[in-house]
Amino acid sequence: MYIRDFGLDTITLAGTLPGKLAAIREAGFSQVMLSARDLATHAGGVDDAVRIVKASGLRVTGFQVLRDFEGLSGHLHGYKVDVAKSMIEMCTALGCRVLLACSSTSQHATGDPDAIARDLRKLAMLALPHRIKVAYEGLSWGRHINEFTTAWQAVVRADMPNLGLGIDSYHIFATKTPLAALADLDAEKIFLVQLSDFMWNEVRTPEERMATARTFRVFPGEGVHTADLAGLVVRLDRMGYAGDYSFEVFNDDYQAMPMATVAARGHRAAAWLAEDVLRRAVPLPNAGRLRPLTTREPF
Amino acid sequence: MTPTEDREALVDVSNPMGMEGIEYIEYRTARPQALGQVLELMGFRPIARHRSREVLLYRQGGMNVIINAHAGTGLSAGSGGGVSTGPGSGGGAEPGGGAATPLSDSPTIAALALRVRDAAAAHRRALDLGAWDVPVRVAPMELHIPAIHGVGATRLYFVDRHREFSIYDVDFVPIPGVEQRPPAVAGLRWFGVVQYIGPGRTNDWIEFYKAIFGFTELGEDRATGVLPNGRVLVSPDGSLHLQLIEPDPLADDGVERLQRVAFGADDVPAAATALKARGVQFVETARLHVDSRGALTQSWFGGLMFELVHQSGPVA
Repeated sequence: MYIRDFGLDTITLAGTLPGKLAAIREAGFSQVMLSARDLATHAGGVDDAVRIVKASGLRVTGFQVLRDFEGLSGHLHGYKVDVAKSMIEMCTALGCRVLLACSSTSQHATGDPDAIARDLRKLAMLALPHRIKVAYEGLSWGRHINEFTTAWQAVVRADMPNLGLGIDSYHIFATKTPLAALADLDAEKIFLVQLSDFMWNEVRTPEERMATARTFRVFPGEGVHTADLAGLVVRLDRMGYAGDYSFEVFNDDYQAMPMATVAARGHRAAAWLAEDVLRRAVPLPNAGRLRPLTTREPF
Repeated sequence: MTPTEDREALVDVSNPMGMEGIEYIEYRTARPQALGQVLELMGFRPIARHRSREVLLYRQGGMNVIINAHAGTGLSAGSGGGVSTGPGSGGGAEPGGGAATPLSDSPTIAALALRVRDAAAAHRRALDLGAWDVPVRVAPMELHIPAIHGVGATRLYFVDRHREFSIYDVDFVPIPGVEQRPPAVAGLRWFGVVQYIGPGRTNDWIEFYKAIFGFTELGEDRATGVLPNGRVLVSPDGSLHLQLIEPDPLADDGVERLQRVAFGADDVPAAATALKARGVQFVETARLHVDSRGALTQSWFGGLMFELVHQSGPVA
């Protein structure tokens, strides 16, 4: 585990796409998690946004976020397929290999496990020719799926090689899902881990979870779940997770601070996790594992 | 699944697309005459021209090959829909995106046209499962052939009226005085296609062909093909073999594409001898040479090559 395995989500910073990329790079990160909004709102248009991202030298960790895809029917389903295709095309243009999809919050979405699995399968099939993996994340205010445990059941039921899990520490702490349940997952099917903490001990209702998630997350090491967060990362590392970590820190205060200041806080969190938490976690001699070559594809 | 679709339980589950063979294989190139000469060495004859585009039909035995030198994309159906092949974007496949692919001097396999029982039903099934549609843009009086995007910039067409009439009667004009049904050299027939895939992509592509088409995988002990690399799938009707090959990460660009066509032959050495007499040269090295299992031609234009594979008796 190295500091280069950590990246920053653009949504964590306020400002323009070129400004965000520069701040992330200058803070010392080598990768960035992009949002579709970064491209769509870029003044020079999507093609220019792609050019800027490629010129930044930052590796694209993943692309977010496809919402409310599964469980819909009829014209709603058709509409979401169009949205998914558009995101897959943007993801492809960026040379990005992971698309994040989060569990449905829609009242119109069915909870039928077979319908959910069929839709996730279709989403993965849409992504497949583009060499894109779909990381499915259980939002803590998801209508039917709101924990990584149930998200994992849906992934297993859908059974597509390029469909796996996106893990987000915020949602795990919000729902108080026991970390021991991670033992049921296949580490190779975790395609992305997003990390953040928050300042409250409890977020009981879905409304409270959503409000906190969207306005008051903080970087790892800055919140009240520091021990759990360290425990999560150590568990993931021990179970063989060799993918990326990205900091997804929606925070209204950070939106009103200089990008360089916020990115520097993010880098401090990466240093803490890589150098303190995880170094402590691998004291055993000869227990190190080599990262497979194929998990990294250069641009 | 809507109630209507549930009633389609009558569909043969082992051959869900109703595959019935290969209608044609399409190459794209900026140098159609150069490719045509190579096809003639391989036993094909030019038999017809497209009515409005720079497209030629070659044939031998039951095999049709289309050479597309039209500056747009695709054959009659789905042309101009826009598939950009982008090695720069690290994958090649960009279904649905961007401008027409520029023609390259070196021929590339651009499409497989599959015979199916019901083209509209096959197309709809593929889209329901998550395949990408190829937008149709036909000229008046031309056939509309439904298609989905395949690997890289390739397309998979669905043709269903091959029994009633020839699809080429609509869009093509026969070349006068040319035998329209030239026999195949040494009984050659389609065997399959070799598909190059990105690193770690074997399971993805196996799932693509299994889930949509009902392909099954041949076991490790398969005795097909001249090279033992990769994994081999066969279509439910037995007409199309696909060999999926991941790159050597140190030696290959990793771009995904259909790399070469393989012909089936009852007697590979005899077929190779017949082709040598026509001027085709074969790879002859210690590791790879003409033998009873298979053979590989030398390459033309820096990449065009053909494979012979032993196959007992013509398929269907």
